[in-house]
Amino acid sequence: MASLSYLLSEFRDKNAVADAIRALRAAGAGDADIDLFSEEPVEFPRGVLDRPSHMSLVSVLGAIVGGVGGTAFVWYAQTNYAVPTGGMPVFSFWGTGVITYELTMLGAVLATFGYFLWESGLIRKRDKSAPVPVVPPECICLRVRVSGDVAAPTALLRQAGAISVEKKVPA
Amino acid sequence: MAHRWGMAIDLDRCTGCEACVAACHAENNIPFSTPEQAAAGRTNHWIRVDRYYEGAFPDVKVKYMPVLCQQCDEAPCEPVCPTLATYHNPEGLNVQVYNRCVGTFYCANNCPYTVRYFNWFDPVWPEPMQLQHNPDVAIRMAGVMEKCTFCIQRIKRGKDEAAAAGQPVADGDIQPACVQSCPAEAMVFGDLNDPESKVSRLTESSRATHLLEELGTKPKVVYLERGR
Amino acid sequence: MSGNANQPELLPYGKIREDLFRPLSGMTQKYFAAILIPLLIIMFGAYAWTVQLRTGMGVTGLQRPVFWGFYIVDFVFWIGISHAGTLISAILRLTDAGWRKPITRAAEAITLFALMIGGMFPIIHLGRAWYFYWLIPYPNMRLLWPNFRSPLLWDLTAIVTYMTGSAIYLYLPLIPDVAQLAEHSVPWRRKLYRMLSLGWTGSDKEWHSLERAMKLMAGIILAVAVSVHTVVAWDFSMAIAPMWHSTIFGPYFVVGAIFSGLAGLMIVMAAIRKLMGLEQYLTRHHFDNLAKLLLLMSILWLYFTFAEHLTVWYGNDPSEMAVFGARTRARFAGLFWLMVVVNFVIPFVLLGIRKLRSITSGVIASFGILLGMFLERYIIVVPTLSTTRLAAATSSSYTPSWVELAITAATFAAMIFLYLIFSKLFPIIAVWEFKPHPHEDEV
Repeated sequence: MASLSYLLSEFRDKNAVADAIRALRAAGAGDADIDLFSEEPVEFPRGVLDRPSHMSLVSVLGAIVGGVGGTAFVWYAQTNYAVPTGGMPVFSFWGTGVITYELTMLGAVLATFGYFLWESGLIRKRDKSAPVPVVPPECICLRVRVSGDVAAPTALLRQAGAISVEKKVPA
Repeated sequence: MAHRWGMAIDLDRCTGCEACVAACHAENNIPFSTPEQAAAGRTNHWIRVDRYYEGAFPDVKVKYMPVLCQQCDEAPCEPVCPTLATYHNPEGLNVQVYNRCVGTFYCANNCPYTVRYFNWFDPVWPEPMQLQHNPDVAIRMAGVMEKCTFCIQRIKRGKDEAAAAGQPVADGDIQPACVQSCPAEAMVFGDLNDPESKVSRLTESSRATHLLEELGTKPKVVYLERGR
Repeated sequence: MSGNANQPELLPYGKIREDLFRPLSGMTQKYFAAILIPLLIIMFGAYAWTVQLRTGMGVTGLQRPVFWGFYIVDFVFWIGISHAGTLISAILRLTDAGWRKPITRAAEAITLFALMIGGMFPIIHLGRAWYFYWLIPYPNMRLLWPNFRSPLLWDLTAIVTYMTGSAIYLYLPLIPDVAQLAEHSVPWRRKLYRMLSLGWTGSDKEWHSLERAMKLMAGIILAVAVSVHTVVAWDFSMAIAPMWHSTIFGPYFVVGAIFSGLAGLMIVMAAIRKLMGLEQYLTRHHFDNLAKLLLLMSILWLYFTFAEHLTVWYGNDPSEMAVFGARTRARFAGLFWLMVVVNFVIPFVLLGIRKLRSITSGVIASFGILLGMFLERYIIVVPTLSTTRLAAATSSSYTPSWVELAITAATFAAMIFLYLIFSKLFPIIAVWEFKPHPHEDEV
């Protein structure tokens, strides 16, 4: 297996970063090999570095689970301890509709937050071997995972406009 | 057949003497108020005599009526209690479970008859009134809502005695304290499911009305209108 | 310092970081005093509550038939204030209004703390408050469940949902900022920030995920916020008490909440601008926009109030007219008309006339609005309860006792206290959100 190494490069201009990514992709790097680090979110046009996500779907699923689960629980509780009150039926969907609604929303909230924590990698086991660059102010750092020869990718990065390119071996 | 307890109050016979109020206090261990608490609107009368004055002196007319918990079939106080401390029992009574009450006050706000009373403090009885307590009735602590129960302890005793004797409950056997003590015999209590009972027959009377009927609470206390 | 008065984002990045991170270290004497006084008031309020717990609800001014008084007014008031964050953060985020950027975190903090404070009142107002947990559905030995048909259970669910959502909504954009603080000089702060940042590295994966989550949360939290105050309003609507049983209460309360929340926000903004030296970040432009929003909400509030009262007056239902009379002509008339003046007339003048619109006039109007909205809640709660359907039971008068006043004062002190602590722990302006993407072609 060719040796793995990481190239950490600094850019000041976001368009330069976009060029660098395109060049690296053309040279064969995959989306999983490329990471950007910055102190603010950097927006690119579509196609440069898309990270597809299932977050909306997870959110909706969470909402459904919350709503259905909540209503089922209310139904169970009301029929389990069935106490008649004031002529109202023991289980009334509209009478407890607010609870259905709120738990739907709560399900969506928790699902969104939980999925964010997982998708962003914040609570997943980290790949400690990958070096994390210290980002100087107003810079964007691009990290590329390279297996084998680093000369070509380094040249690509410099050509795109990197201020500095540094090679690091996995820790 | 299950019982369905109801009451009829004949406003023509009622003299406004408030013996019912006193009897209720005695029977149900209702705490005393002080004059200061009374001035602050914190008296506790499960049954009270409301008075309405019309006209100016010397043509003053007083209309009065005893008002107690109407034990509504569709009680607005019941669905709003979060802990189910008030609910409808199979005999049609609106039951208040003191143990379950956390004191949210919602039931009292929703009662259109304002017949619910709250225990603002732990109860006090001036000496020697604490000797007069009725052992059949719980003493409520501060923080709990209470109201007329149609003397449910007497209902229970009546049913138990009838069952022990192997007889059905006869009409007039069970009388809440207010009904028992009324000197004008203006109040009648009985089983609305028994078509022959006095209260059922009075409910058919042409003078029969309900209080705040338009609200749809289906109260089980019938008021027989005063003659004109 | 350089930088356009209306575009603080153009200040040098280093200066922004320095300005916004500076309050996070050290404690001046003034700050210490500012923390101590609210703390004392809170302690007195807590003492008042223990008196109530030990002696009984009789220590309040409550009486039959006024079973809900100041505590419920406080409850609705504080839950109303909590709508500050939602409006600014969620609605303005969804409509991509850039001027919201320096305000979002401060507003979201108001929301969370107002909810925490308001959420205490369903417990404080209970006759047997130590059993409050009976409202929570948990399996128990008596095999009982609470009554989900009760609007109070709806309240519980709604507030729990809103509090969870708000906390998450406050935390999410905080993560990148605390990650930047992870090298703070003070050791316990370092530990705190590191723990809260969850190892945030600023990678594009993380940013994308964060932005997606925040966009979703903005929409969800907006839906929840509207429902929360509607549910609180339905505590009244679902009752059959005259002038409570009104279909307009849901939207009416939501509008009132946004109204009072904005007023609270304006006051907090002015305070932190002054006290933390943030004149270059919270500019007249921001206050101008807030003032316009506040004016709009004032007019909307007037519309709802007018609609509510006109329908009651025209309908002439006797029970409702008794309450209407109590509110507008009799016992509560003074408070009612004061409310109208302070909620509409004064803001209309101070905020509507461009010459008079300024930060100071905005703050004055806002204080008036907070008073007015407190009065509005009072006028909704007490006159209806005082004026019973069976007239013989109508009450003499309800006046709050020292216990209720102490606890009410403690809530305001608690808000100040929590806010002071928050502003010392976290940057009050979201640094990463505030500075536009440094490589954006246009702002």
